[in-house]
Amino acid sequence: MLAGASGALSLPVLTSCTAETASADSVLTGKRWGMVIDLTRCREGCTACMDACRQENNVAFHGDARWDVHWIRRASLKPKDEDSGLSEKSVLLMCNHCDNPPCAQVCPVQATYKREDGIVVVDHHRCIGCRYCMIACPYNARFFNFKENEDWPNQDYPKRSHGVVEACNFCAHLLDQGLRPACVEACQNAGAGALVFGDLNDRTSEVSQLVAGGFVKRIREDWGTKPKVYYIGL
Amino acid sequence: MAMDVSFSKIEGRSLPYYLTVAVLAGFAVAGFIATLVMHAHGLYLSGMTNRVPWGLQISMAIFYIGLSAGSLVVSGLYGVFGKMEYKPFARIAAYLAMLFLIAGLLSIFTDQGRIDRVFTKPFTYVNATSMFSINPALYSGHIMICVLYLWALFKEKGTLTKITSLVVVLWAIGTHTGTGAIFAFVPRELYNSSLLPPSFVAAALSSGAALMILVIVSLFRATGRHLDHDLIIWMGRRLLSIFLLVTLYVLLIENAHRVYLAADHEAGMFFLFGGSHSFLFWVGLITIGCVIPAILLFIRRTGTSVPWTVFASVLVVLGVLCERFLIVIPGLIHPPELFPGWEVADVVFREGVVSYSISYLEILQTLGVIGVIGFMFVVGLKIMPLAPNEARVLPAR
Repeated sequence: MLAGASGALSLPVLTSCTAETASADSVLTGKRWGMVIDLTRCREGCTACMDACRQENNVAFHGDARWDVHWIRRASLKPKDEDSGLSEKSVLLMCNHCDNPPCAQVCPVQATYKREDGIVVVDHHRCIGCRYCMIACPYNARFFNFKENEDWPNQDYPKRSHGVVEACNFCAHLLDQGLRPACVEACQNAGAGALVFGDLNDRTSEVSQLVAGGFVKRIREDWGTKPKVYYIGL
Repeated sequence: MAMDVSFSKIEGRSLPYYLTVAVLAGFAVAGFIATLVMHAHGLYLSGMTNRVPWGLQISMAIFYIGLSAGSLVVSGLYGVFGKMEYKPFARIAAYLAMLFLIAGLLSIFTDQGRIDRVFTKPFTYVNATSMFSINPALYSGHIMICVLYLWALFKEKGTLTKITSLVVVLWAIGTHTGTGAIFAFVPRELYNSSLLPPSFVAAALSSGAALMILVIVSLFRATGRHLDHDLIIWMGRRLLSIFLLVTLYVLLIENAHRVYLAADHEAGMFFLFGGSHSFLFWVGLITIGCVIPAILLFIRRTGTSVPWTVFASVLVVLGVLCERFLIVIPGLIHPPELFPGWEVADVVFREGVVSYSISYLEILQTLGVIGVIGFMFVVGLKIMPLAPNEARVLPAR
């Protein structure tokens, strides 16, 4: 977990290593999944990732912003200071799969928990629908099924009953089959390639290279949640 | 310093009594039906949304839990500080505390998305870091201690009464601190505050003492029993007024801190001046709930009058109701600052400031909870010797 001295570099096994390089949990699986969202390649009107996610994971859409569920969503950013010279930009928001997830900390039934490979998941058969995780998530990345979902496009994957909370799980069921998350695949197929997914423990992976390149940011790193979703061009 | 206090059941045969029982039972049934409807169709029938996932039910839950502090006040006076003249109210205080904790648990219970799982999952998968795991244990423990306290009072067990009344005080502080911590321990700008648990305790003491005054005065009046006014005046001037000042003080510091620090300035200004909730804060909580009752209690002419003390108590209970709503809602309708310096605008989801309006089904659920505990209270008075025959100031030694 939060093993030891943060000053340690990535080399030594004998000394402790940081949560940034390899956590004790992930030693068991060897994986620590993460994503880089390259906003410079993301196209503003494009909805490929959101559509693919909805299709793959049976994410409810009721046509009412109060109750629609979004595992990945687009928002636009406007500079508060109009004289700053900065222009409006578009951003994708999703579960950050924090290494210190406040949602898992507060879940009274451990329905939300962090897997050994770092993915934060919800067990929909255990969730009692108290919504405390939604209160605790500072990124507003969690959604409650206020209404029964009528659509069930992907019959190979369960849909959720009304009364439970859900959020992005990096398409854990696809990862377990050796496939990439639906949004990443869709973004690639759309020719944008703005979503890069991979193993943060593997220093040769594209995500690790991008993260190591130093041009990445995470949302509100000062909160100490340690997200595993990184942004380029934020 | 022994004092014999006799208790008796109320007769409960009058028309007003039966009408009260019938109305409360009707509320309970209405609340039950509203809950069934809500859970058959989904919580979209409430006013809650994905941006405001907690609403009236949670606000009311923490309001009831705060009101249970009445037992803390009376137990503290009688069991801890040895003010024997407050012993007559101990049974009612313990019984009401139990009922208000039941009301709190009932409100939280009926607010869950999957009610069917509430009696199994929290027991098989406890999460020791969750305030939602810790608090139900505190509430249930509190209810059990109240039952034991009540039993010791009924059986006139001197030592056990002393011990349980002290335990009730300590446990109640834990209960109220834990309830404040539900909000204080999460990373949201208007929640995250180490002053929230103590301010919850202060407001709980205010509302608990005010409610005890209201219940005692109306019970004695309705049953035509003798009540020495000095007992009520003392509670108003020496307890409620002090609790109110402490509440005001903590609220002042908490909000000054928010507005002063650059990091929380915007959220603090939103809370104080940013919408209809600010009206609730300045008018409902500060003016009506704290300042006016404090003045009424401190001025000798009004502070030594039972009707004015009762009026001040009503204002305090209403003010604390506003305070509970203000703990839950503004922190949710205000968006978290994800990108400092940038405003997040809607594309598919509501990212900015949102609103919350209460649905009629939520109101019925709330009436239902009031109906259940109100019914248990009035019926309890009839079947158990809870009410003292008289309450007098002790003769000077």
